[in-house]
Amino acid sequence: MIGWIILGVCVLVLAWFIMTYNSLVSTRNDVQNAWKQIDVQLKRRHDLIPGLVQAVKGALEFEQDTLEKVISARAKAVSAGTTAGKAEAENMLTQSLGRLFAVMENYPVLQSNQNVLKLQEELTSTENRLSFARQLYNDLVANYRTRIQIFPDNIISGLFNFQAEDYFSAADEDKAAPIVNLSLKR
Amino acid sequence: MPLTFIDIERQKSWRISILFLFLLFIYLIALAPLLGVFIHAYLPPRSSLPPLAAWGMLSLVAAGLHFGVSAYDTVNTVVRGLDAMPPDPEDAVHMMFMNILQEVHIVTGNKRTMKGMVIPSFSLNALAVADLQGNAVIAITEGLLSRLTRPQLEAVIAHEAHHILSNDCLETTIAASLFGTCSSAMEKLGHASGERTVRSPMHILGLSLLQLSFLLNMFVSREREYRADAASVRMTRNPIALAEALHLLSRSWRGAGFIGSGYEMLCIVNPQITALDETDGFWADVFSTHPPLAKRIDILLSMAHRNIAELEAPAEETAHGEIRVPASPLFYAMNPQQQWQGPFTLSELAGLSWLSPLTWITEGVGKLVHRAAQEPSVNAMIFARYSGQKQIVSTFSCPTCSQPLVRESYEGTQIHQCRFCSGILVDSVKLPRIIARTGKERSCSERISSRARSIINLNQLGHAYRKRSDDSPVRNLQHCPHCHNPMSRGFYSQVYLIEVDSCSFCGLTWFDKDELEMLQCLIRNRITPDVVALGPVR
Repeated sequence: MIGWIILGVCVLVLAWFIMTYNSLVSTRNDVQNAWKQIDVQLKRRHDLIPGLVQAVKGALEFEQDTLEKVISARAKAVSAGTTAGKAEAENMLTQSLGRLFAVMENYPVLQSNQNVLKLQEELTSTENRLSFARQLYNDLVANYRTRIQIFPDNIISGLFNFQAEDYFSAADEDKAAPIVNLSLKR
Repeated sequence: MPLTFIDIERQKSWRISILFLFLLFIYLIALAPLLGVFIHAYLPPRSSLPPLAAWGMLSLVAAGLHFGVSAYDTVNTVVRGLDAMPPDPEDAVHMMFMNILQEVHIVTGNKRTMKGMVIPSFSLNALAVADLQGNAVIAITEGLLSRLTRPQLEAVIAHEAHHILSNDCLETTIAASLFGTCSSAMEKLGHASGERTVRSPMHILGLSLLQLSFLLNMFVSREREYRADAASVRMTRNPIALAEALHLLSRSWRGAGFIGSGYEMLCIVNPQITALDETDGFWADVFSTHPPLAKRIDILLSMAHRNIAELEAPAEETAHGEIRVPASPLFYAMNPQQQWQGPFTLSELAGLSWLSPLTWITEGVGKLVHRAAQEPSVNAMIFARYSGQKQIVSTFSCPTCSQPLVRESYEGTQIHQCRFCSGILVDSVKLPRIIARTGKERSCSERISSRARSIINLNQLGHAYRKRSDDSPVRNLQHCPHCHNPMSRGFYSQVYLIEVDSCSFCGLTWFDKDELEMLQCLIRNRITPDVVALGPVR
């Protein structure tokens, strides 16, 4: 009788062990997949930028400075090696693109050019996808971190060496505290 | 564990089986008279077991068939019922819709493929459908697509995507399709046959099925709309955009009469405005499918520490505002005969055939006179004209000048324009898009609005006389560029009296120079003809 009970407990523990291990692995794979998704969107952005620069170059004769910044930021982002360097270069690229879009607002001729509008829409969409992919990645990382740290899952994660993944941090200017205007004028 | 949008379990499938039991129950009741007849006619009164079993089996088979037929291919049925079409890749606004769908797809973790569809209607609504085959469609009306900004559209699509991911969409779709699909089809038939006083049997059948589908509302909880709102905010992190979108929906036509009443539980807001929807309490919770819009907006706004008055004020202003003419600079230009012409707006300047980079222009008396190329905005315009994009010549030729038409982009969609007379040819599919996108900015040039006013007033007179004297109003003048049948000439509508030529075979519509712009100006500013006292009929 006691033998049966011990056997039953052993089977239960084994089943819990297998289930927890499998779900930890699938959570980790989800995280890695989300990281790949960010890469896909970064690649897409790099591919779209030369087309946009080509399309607006003629009209933005007096804004060569802004354009060059975009081109050089893109070149840096493409060639960046380490993850940290990559994140920094991509943040630079985001900023310079934002400036280019702001400049483009002032040129009605660009706003009526279908090709430019289409490229602009594609890039805007890519920026959104990028931020969504980041958001998803961070959510998944948070989920994964919780999983490997809570008891009793941490026994298995410690045993099989599940490493905590890093968050994808936002651009520096996003992190800066918002400036609060206390004057009563609206 | 809280319901995360990343991995949502299939936890509601048991509710679908309740729907099936409900259906079975209805069939049992419906087939009960049959049972009575059966017993009375064929069997001795003592043995009542076989007919009971037969009754049960028959109901089970009928309910099973009904359930299978309505739940299996529902997405296609609903899509067909609403005449929805896949987005047009050439259309700028439709492309934005597709892009946003992709973005939402990413934020939901690529768990499920969702197709986008566009419903060609001016009404403002969006709906999600899913069926047992695993198809899922998010459909948006043309009107809503054109009225929302990008963040607002994103919020609405995220809301619908949550319905699909959390599987409550499957549940509502099946509930709607059990009776809603056929009742909506019959409703449409009833409208089409135009019988108002004498109700056809079809109509009555449709109405009774509709009552049954109202009963099904009991299974559809109001909570799911709140949950989808919350999930949408979680995805887009933008409660204000969703609140603005809902606020716009609350003030607009949401498709009552167009979207069949059977489909109402699929939509983001109920197409019918009912008192039940806007009330709280037990009965409303049981019988209504949508929670009060005001409450939904309030919850969203409180997340952002705003209140509804901030949304009301600008909306009121646009609803009662005056025509705003944009303060664009006016230019005078010197023509080849050395005479000053003008004033022209930038777009009118672009239409001058004699304008060159060397033309002298000025912004007014006493202002600096310089070459056109020295003025940045004018130079950019000339630059675009000469370096311009490749012109794609369409297969159609102009009905007035017989020259090939050129494909142009207008309000984000493709039209065919004549380079010589500036007339515009529009497809029947694309005209509603242009009209739907008209309301976005309330501005049109002074010239267009004054011309439109005088034309509709003239036409109003002529129209009224023609009506009274029973004169035949239509004269065939031009031929359709596609099928070469004569086009019929008529007014765009009884309210907006702009003359258009349209082909009843191909659905093409021809607008002479400025006519499309005038029509848009009229619709945008709700200009109607002045009321005039009619003289005696000649």
